[in-house]
Amino acid sequence: MAIVKTEKLSKIYNPDTVPVHALRDVTISFEEGEFTSVVGPSGSGKTTLLNMIGGLDKPTSGSVEIDGTTITGMSDRELIDFRLKHIGFVFQHYNLIPVFTALENVSFIMLLQKREKSEMENRAKSLLEQVGLSDRMDARPKQLSGGQQQRVAVARALASEPRFILADEPTANLDSTSAMNLLDIMEKMNREQNVTFIFSTHDQRVIDRARRVVYMVDGKIDRDEVQK
Amino acid sequence: MLFLKLAWRNLWRNRKRTLITVSAITFAVVAAVFMQSINRGSHEVMIDNMVRFHTGYVQLQDYRYDAEPSLDNSFFFDDEIRDRVKKTYPETELVLPRIETFMLAGNEHTTRGALVLGILPEQEDAFSGLKNHLADGRFFDPAEQAAVVTKGLAERLQLSIGDQLLLIGQGRFGMSANGLFEITGILDHPLRDMNNQTVYIPLETAQFLLSADDHITALLVHPGGERHVRAAANAFNEEFSGDDLKAYTWPEMMPELLQLLEFDLVGAYFMSGILYIVIGFGFFGTILTMTLERTKEFGVLVSVGMSRVRLGMVLFLETLFISITGVISGVVAAWLILYWFYLNPIELSGEIAETVIEMGWEPVLPMSFAADQFYMQGLIVFVIAMFVFLFPLIKIMRLNILEAARS
Ligand SMILES: Nc1ncnc2c1ncn2[C@@H]1O[C@H](COP(=O)(O)OP(=O)(O)O)[C@@H](O)[C@H]1O
Ligand SMILES: [Mg+2]
Repeated sequence: MAIVKTEKLSKIYNPDTVPVHALRDVTISFEEGEFTSVVGPSGSGKTTLLNMIGGLDKPTSGSVEIDGTTITGMSDRELIDFRLKHIGFVFQHYNLIPVFTALENVSFIMLLQKREKSEMENRAKSLLEQVGLSDRMDARPKQLSGGQQQRVAVARALASEPRFILADEPTANLDSTSAMNLLDIMEKMNREQNVTFIFSTHDQRVIDRARRVVYMVDGKIDRDEVQK
Repeated sequence: MLFLKLAWRNLWRNRKRTLITVSAITFAVVAAVFMQSINRGSHEVMIDNMVRFHTGYVQLQDYRYDAEPSLDNSFFFDDEIRDRVKKTYPETELVLPRIETFMLAGNEHTTRGALVLGILPEQEDAFSGLKNHLADGRFFDPAEQAAVVTKGLAERLQLSIGDQLLLIGQGRFGMSANGLFEITGILDHPLRDMNNQTVYIPLETAQFLLSADDHITALLVHPGGERHVRAAANAFNEEFSGDDLKAYTWPEMMPELLQLLEFDLVGAYFMSGILYIVIGFGFFGTILTMTLERTKEFGVLVSVGMSRVRLGMVLFLETLFISITGVISGVVAAWLILYWFYLNPIELSGEIAETVIEMGWEPVLPMSFAADQFYMQGLIVFVIAMFVFLFPLIKIMRLNILEAARS
């Protein structure tokens, strides 16, 4: 069964003034264990699609179903709770709480989930180890490089044990070494722990690493390919 | 715990701004208390003088006297009543019998209306330090045919020590009352009204003059301090109701003055209001930048699943820290500053000083040191701060996470 399913998803920004059709009747689904990249030129609707899937924004028409639950039509409060329990997020920039250490940033999401304190710490530590930051756990975001910050963000996204992780251009602000390093980590988690990743990008080298590539043009799915 | 940590760390994130906000609140409390203190200071002096030199804390009167202040409504007073007063309210420190009436006071040529008070000078002095205000001469002995005239009246009648004062009027039940009194002293009365019209004569002499043997119009009781006033009056009312006597507290005896002072405070309240508004806007500026700066962070937190209520709580904690710290340090600072002024009062100079000295006051800026102004002003500033801090809460509740992320 698909983890994510959209049905004729449309989004029109500013319908009353200068309407922008950001998404046009997008119907697509994502399966468990996927490592998928959503690609396309700037303005093609990648962010909008990911926001809809992540329950961060509401479609003009159509629906989004996650694990059999329709999230379209949920209240703001229900959505916040749903995101906390089911979806992991990695944003392009400004992911972390600046006053928290790496460890606290990862623990924090589990605190919101009201987990046991001891479990919280152990899990946060092991996740930071997995992203190769065992020696930077007590550093604050400002003391970390952009690549390191994104790795903490991946650890945080994973901490809540979500059904899948959404990452909107996670490498856009990184140099290519850091970008490849981040991809290595994501790929490893996908391979070894079957973590589902859906990420957008317009970087060809990142696209090359994805197993499935969804091409978007002008708010529509242009092509949907499985690579290699 | 992590929430508390988050709030706490956020305070230290911009140390300078937190410090500025805290000191702004501190300053606000100090300014508010200071203003109150000065506004209330002169009133306290007035009320205190009024109580000390005119009404006393509690008075016992015939219950008819208030409506019709005539000698016909005087009452019998002897040692037995004095003892009953002390027994009824054991904390009682002083009991001052007085007989009071209006008469004409004159020299050979002219007369003027005068308030004649028959008193026991030693007791009056013990209560109010009346003798300290003698400009010249001395107070009389208990049954002497002598008078102490207030300065204003003496000047108007062109009388001085050793001269004879003529008193003409009516005694009890319409008996005529005339007498000549040797002036033994001139008193500079602290209350301007009284200074222009008062004549003190010995109680016994007055009772004889007014055909009112053993009668008085008022019994002033000093119940041992302000906080005893209500309780003492209640006790006396119970004890003496069978004797047709009624006890009045000082606020009951000078309602007009209190009303006037209250009215005088309207301007002060208005000024305080302006101060509060300035304080409020000051906070608002800081809080506004603080909130806008963190919009992105709020957006991320809500995006990954932090409920708005939780986020609001963290912010509330932050603001609570700031407000409480500011208010407490403000109250402490205000207390220290007022204490310093208490030890080193601001000296008045020039014309104001002369007027004040003339009225028998010390030429210093009167300030109130009442405790309630500290916590009242502290509380008001705290409420203002918390009210202003509603702004970020509203902001969080309405936050559009996508816009926040893009900002
Ligand atoms: N909040 C918004 N208001 C108006 N137009 C928007 C808004 N967000 C995105 N758009 C428009 O929708 C289209 C798709 O944007 P987006 O999903 O961000 O594309 P991508 O992420 O592929 O660059 C663009 O034309 C963009 O200008
Ligand atoms: Mg985008």
